[in-house]
Amino acid sequence: MKPLNCIYLLLINIILLASCSTDNTRGHTRGYYLLLDTSGTYTEELNKAKQVINYILATLEPGDSFAVARIDSASFSEKDIITKVVLDARPSVSVAQKRAFASTINAFVSSVKSSPHTDISGGLLQGIEFLNEAKVNHRNILIYSDLQEDLPKGYIRDVNMKLDGFTVKALNVTKLRADNQNPRSYMERVASWQSKIITGGGNWELINDLEKPDALL
Amino acid sequence: MQYFTQTGWPAFFLLFTLIMLALYLAREPAHKAIKGIFDGLYRAFRLIAISLNRSSIHMRERNREVLLNIGREHGERELHKEFHEITQFVQRDLGGYPQLQQDIREHISHIQTDYEASQIVPIALPEWTEAVDSLAKLKMNNHTANSRVLEQIHETAQLQHKDNIKVFRETNAKRHTLLQKILPHWRKLSFSIDDTGERLTDILTRSQKIDTHMARFEEIHQGSDKALRFLRMSALTQLLISTLVITIAIGGAFFNFHLIALPMSEMVGSAQRIGGAKVSDLAALVIICMEISAGIFLLESLRITKLFPLISAMDDKTRRIIMVTASIVLITLACTESALAFMRDQIASDLALLRSSLSGQVMEYSTVEQGGINHWIPLAANMVLGFILPLALTMIAIPLEYLLQSGRTVFGNLFANLISLCATLIRLCANFARQSGKVLLSIYDLIIAGPLFIESIVKHSWPKPIKNTQEKWETHLDEYDISKTGVKK
Repeated sequence: MKPLNCIYLLLINIILLASCSTDNTRGHTRGYYLLLDTSGTYTEELNKAKQVINYILATLEPGDSFAVARIDSASFSEKDIITKVVLDARPSVSVAQKRAFASTINAFVSSVKSSPHTDISGGLLQGIEFLNEAKVNHRNILIYSDLQEDLPKGYIRDVNMKLDGFTVKALNVTKLRADNQNPRSYMERVASWQSKIITGGGNWELINDLEKPDALL
Repeated sequence: MQYFTQTGWPAFFLLFTLIMLALYLAREPAHKAIKGIFDGLYRAFRLIAISLNRSSIHMRERNREVLLNIGREHGERELHKEFHEITQFVQRDLGGYPQLQQDIREHISHIQTDYEASQIVPIALPEWTEAVDSLAKLKMNNHTANSRVLEQIHETAQLQHKDNIKVFRETNAKRHTLLQKILPHWRKLSFSIDDTGERLTDILTRSQKIDTHMARFEEIHQGSDKALRFLRMSALTQLLISTLVITIAIGGAFFNFHLIALPMSEMVGSAQRIGGAKVSDLAALVIICMEISAGIFLLESLRITKLFPLISAMDDKTRRIIMVTASIVLITLACTESALAFMRDQIASDLALLRSSLSGQVMEYSTVEQGGINHWIPLAANMVLGFILPLALTMIAIPLEYLLQSGRTVFGNLFANLISLCATLIRLCANFARQSGKVLLSIYDLIIAGPLFIESIVKHSWPKPIKNTQEKWETHLDEYDISKTGVKK
């Protein structure tokens, strides 16, 4: 084959590839929805959560989505989303977005007030909704909580969660005083959440050692 | 086996006999079938082997032609270069020979004139010698008068001697002046002759070189084995060298790619992907490809490479346009890359600052930043490399041409050898198939050895039919008497 023909073929290939590029726009994007437990004494753990958020921010790439929401008495609400971002394609803009995100989280952590109840399921449902709307390829929900749900009276959360394609990671699941007395309650609590997630079609992971940040991603 | 132990051995023998009988009865068609299958396989394999052999021979011929053609082209190019240099030499140096000849003549004429002028003129004999002579012939008694005359002569001689010395010195001074005037002419003449000699030596060296090239070219033209061997070795060496250079160039291109991939994401965005690759990465790759293409066109228009014969065949004006356009594109892209390298440094610094701020190490980073040493050196190096690398990549066209040419011949020969090896293996398969057929026929006959033995006994017990010999022929003739009447008795 003559070199000129090779160049023509190369150009045609480039044009063909460019024409099919729009379909793959969000094919490799990742989405993270982090739920922060603000109930009871767990607020003391939020400084550690800040490090987790900063680590995720540092590893996110243009096109990725990230939202941080609080778990309070009624978490199935957009108002509980502390901050969210879809990183811009340009690195300079995405860096500015990350800075703004980190500053919002700092402000939140320094002024957070503990809530009387813990609605983890509501937060999870909100996270599913957010990530489905974000149309990202890899959907991750991170629950930074002790997984002890305590719903206010009249709140119903026994809905079937559709978690196909989701990975739910429970972070820093601290042991309560009662767990120390009876570890079975801790194991049952974790197993109950695991079964709920797997029944919904999602993947479950438990990460208590935050010194290994690679496990987060 | 278990079945036979249950049913008994007689049943087994019965079955065996029946099978043997069936095989004996089907002997002829079975033999034909086996022979047909294996002969067919043999012929098919042979056909494939012959076809592959022909392809291999054809490919070798073609490779030979290509190799000789490339060698011829290289030889022509080398000869053209040598002749061009000789022409330039003749135009530049030998063109000035009439002038040089004139100069040499002038120098020689000057030298001759001055030399002639500097010759020693014999001094005229002193006049007093005749007076002394006539005085000696006189018979004088007066010594006083004699001595006075002699004194006068002496004085005259002294005066004349002084005059002569003066004249001699003046003449010598003039001669020396003339000889001094000769010296520069002499030097110039010597220089001109030496220079001419050196040029002639250069011509001789060049002509020897041309002779060597010409001899090689003639060998290539005749397609001799020696020339082919030389060209094959040369092609292999060129392939290895060009592969090495291309590998280095790919390393350079890879480095260049990383230099501009990040800043390209600022221009075209890095969220979109094509087939898993970021658009910004592809854009960076396209820029590098454009630089290489521009480099190829530049070298083509300069007639350094001949990847596109069309460009080499263009007239000078069009070629010059291509050359200027390619140069402008190249310089523009090099400047763009330099700017992108600057931008890369800015983005990388910003990212590093963000990461350090996220990890709570802002102070440490900014301390290093304020020093200014770590920042400006890599920035300047990035910018310089961003400008130089595209220009360096233009040279890839030369090893690329060699790689394509030598690769064609080397891999062509390798492929021809591979086909030849395949042909040999298939021929072995053909022979194996034929022998397998024979073995299978023997095994078949071995199975029905019993019936065959019986058949041979029966055949031997019956009277033998008369062989188709002269005797048989005569018997037939006697019986029918065809030779005489044509009617049976």
